[in-house]
Amino acid sequence: MTLFTKADCQKCHYIKDHFNLPSLGIQEEILGEDNAEALAHLAWHELIETAQKELPILILDDNTAVVGAIPIKKYLSHQNGN
Amino acid sequence: MGTIVELHQDPKVSEVKETTDLALFVRTSNEDLVTWNRQRIVDALVRETLVDFDTAEAISKEVEEFIFSTKISMVTAPLIRELVDSKLIERGLEKARIMHTRLGVPLYDVDQMIVHPNKENANVPHGPEATNLTLAEGIKKEYALLSVFSSQVGDAHMRGDFHLHDLGFIDRPYCSGQSLEYIKRFGLNLPNALSMAKPAKHPEVLLAHMVKFAAALQSHFAGAIGWDAVNLFFAPYLEGLSDREIKQLAQMMIFEFSQQAVARGGQAIFTDINLYWEVPRHFEKVPAIGPGGKYTGKTYLDYLPLAQKFVWLLFDVFKEGDGAGRPFFFPKPLVHITEKFFQTPNHQEFLNHICEVAALKGNTYFVFDRGQTAKISECCRLSFKLEAQDLLDAHEPWRMRYCALQNVTINFPRLAYQAEGNDTTLFAKLAESVELAVEAHLQKNAFILKLLSLGERGPLSLLTMDRDGSPYLRLQRATYLIGMVGLNELVQYHTGEELHESQKAIKFGLKVIAYMKLLTDRFSQKYGMRFVLEQTPAESTAYRFAKLDLQKYPEQAGKVIKGDKAQGEVYYTNSTLFNISAQMNPVDRVRYEGLFHPLIEAGALTHIWIGESRPDKESLANFIIKTFKLTKNDQIAFSPEFTTCRACGQTSRGLMEKCPYCGSAEVDGITRITGYFTKISSWNKGKIGELRDRYRNTPYFSMREAVSPGVEEPT
Ligand SMILES: [Zn+2]
Repeated sequence: MTLFTKADCQKCHYIKDHFNLPSLGIQEEILGEDNAEALAHLAWHELIETAQKELPILILDDNTAVVGAIPIKKYLSHQNGN
Repeated sequence: MGTIVELHQDPKVSEVKETTDLALFVRTSNEDLVTWNRQRIVDALVRETLVDFDTAEAISKEVEEFIFSTKISMVTAPLIRELVDSKLIERGLEKARIMHTRLGVPLYDVDQMIVHPNKENANVPHGPEATNLTLAEGIKKEYALLSVFSSQVGDAHMRGDFHLHDLGFIDRPYCSGQSLEYIKRFGLNLPNALSMAKPAKHPEVLLAHMVKFAAALQSHFAGAIGWDAVNLFFAPYLEGLSDREIKQLAQMMIFEFSQQAVARGGQAIFTDINLYWEVPRHFEKVPAIGPGGKYTGKTYLDYLPLAQKFVWLLFDVFKEGDGAGRPFFFPKPLVHITEKFFQTPNHQEFLNHICEVAALKGNTYFVFDRGQTAKISECCRLSFKLEAQDLLDAHEPWRMRYCALQNVTINFPRLAYQAEGNDTTLFAKLAESVELAVEAHLQKNAFILKLLSLGERGPLSLLTMDRDGSPYLRLQRATYLIGMVGLNELVQYHTGEELHESQKAIKFGLKVIAYMKLLTDRFSQKYGMRFVLEQTPAESTAYRFAKLDLQKYPEQAGKVIKGDKAQGEVYYTNSTLFNISAQMNPVDRVRYEGLFHPLIEAGALTHIWIGESRPDKESLANFIIKTFKLTKNDQIAFSPEFTTCRACGQTSRGLMEKCPYCGSAEVDGITRITGYFTKISSWNKGKIGELRDRYRNTPYFSMREAVSPGVEEPT
């Protein structure tokens, strides 16, 4: 799974603080002015406009996206069996 | 300019054969004959360069001596200038030589131009006015490269590292977008015009103002003139008119713009009309301006039924085509498909209607504004996204005036040749190219600012006119376009696969464009200007780059270049498009090409070539709905092909060698070149090569309707 975040995004930090991403098999991609790789990856998932409105975004292994801190928290908590 | 110096023998002293007795006459551009005067060389050198007086004196004497020693009967001004320049070179005064250089055209070239058509832009017909345009463009191009741009920028253009578009129009911005509200409110009140017209009271007069203003704007911009929400802003003038009268107006609008070949160089005005089935959200509550420039007391939301009637009838006219059933080349109708479109009653019927026109004539452009995005589209695919301030301006829509100042297109495949497979080098080269393109923009911007600073007495007086508290050209809202040609060939050379061949190739292509987008964002921040990516139409650039690379990088280019090398019909794939000949399902093409579109802020488009097939309107409408809902594609257009016969005047579907009606070989093919329809006979060789390769999606669009109005099946 991939989690798209930004450096100055509080909701992104909220997710990162609440979950141990590597242990959940989640790779973080931080969007920023020097990260073309992350932007290209976002474009591949057709999420550029979505990311302009809301972050973080979690891409699941089946390529579907969970958008926003609360839905991501719910999803990950459920996955964790919490 | 244009001074000719002739050496005449003085008849009174004709018996004496001394060179000093020959009288030199100077034929000036004022059609005046003056006698030879060495001082003129000195004056010119001192006036035009930084050379000191003594050096100028010395050079003038050397040149005079040389001319007298040759015993030739006539010398021309260009020759004298070249002689002076050679003396400057001898002295190592290179900068002075450039400042003193003469811009001109060889006799042979002028002869060729007058006799043969200009193939750089298929929109320019061949004729005396076109020749004037080509000649003037040639001089201004040289002027731009020597005087407006630094040698570093000029050389990059000459080498084909990038292409500076419209150098022949160096003293104009690139393109313009506005609405009818400006002329509805202020009338036709242009600086230096012979008469001032008050705001129109009747729809025919409003149309006349629109056409004249478009012509005035075209002579101040190099590219397209786009109009926002034309059907909506026209609507207050349509009250009380019968359907027949409204149809008549629709006809007049389309014929006026398609027949404006009187504009510069005999070109039609490159006009885009933006159309809506709904009232765009940002115009709903705006007070409507009606006849006489007065508020009607209603808002634009109240004019929905009239706006819908007008746009429906405009498409009736597009469906019929011109007098011979051919598609209209201009104006280009751009229909915005938005979330609100699908909430507006009868949208399905309207979508079927415009899809029928797309299938029969190809005119319709489908522009997708998803979410809360609002755009004005123009040029071949250029669009301006409306931002928060623009949406505030929308309350006084005459303020909504946009321009792009210039377009610079980077030769992508060459970056790959230079990188030799190394990623780091590739991205470093791309960064250097973008930086130099930004430099080119800064230089053109400085030049335009200089012209604008001359105000209403300067050459761009129209753009400085101030009717609403700010100049017509709102430079602070200008965009500076950076385009690309041949992403497909870059990826192919660098990774071994073309974009359509693997997901890995697409992902690498996305990384290149994402990198470029981030670079332009950084430069925008640095300079406080809007540098944005555009899919360059590259009507001739894709051919120019391919030709240059075959000379400079024959081995590398030979591996990826498209077209017929033996015939010289070579090209690179435009912008971020996929291989034009790839046999892709159009649904996949729209989706995968669309992945790039959100990164290309100034507009992107997918072409669907449909050749001679004639899809039914319902299946096209379905295709459009799916494209809107399931992809990120920005804009699509369907392009059919036609053959029109010069002998019998009939137009038939598909490209044919002979007219199916009368058998004549005097036929013209018609289809879309990049962003507009034109006759194929006017295309450059690269585009001819591309035309041969186009995959026409026949299996997908093989369903045919019986007979289309204007284009009848031969029996
Ligand atoms: Zn015929």
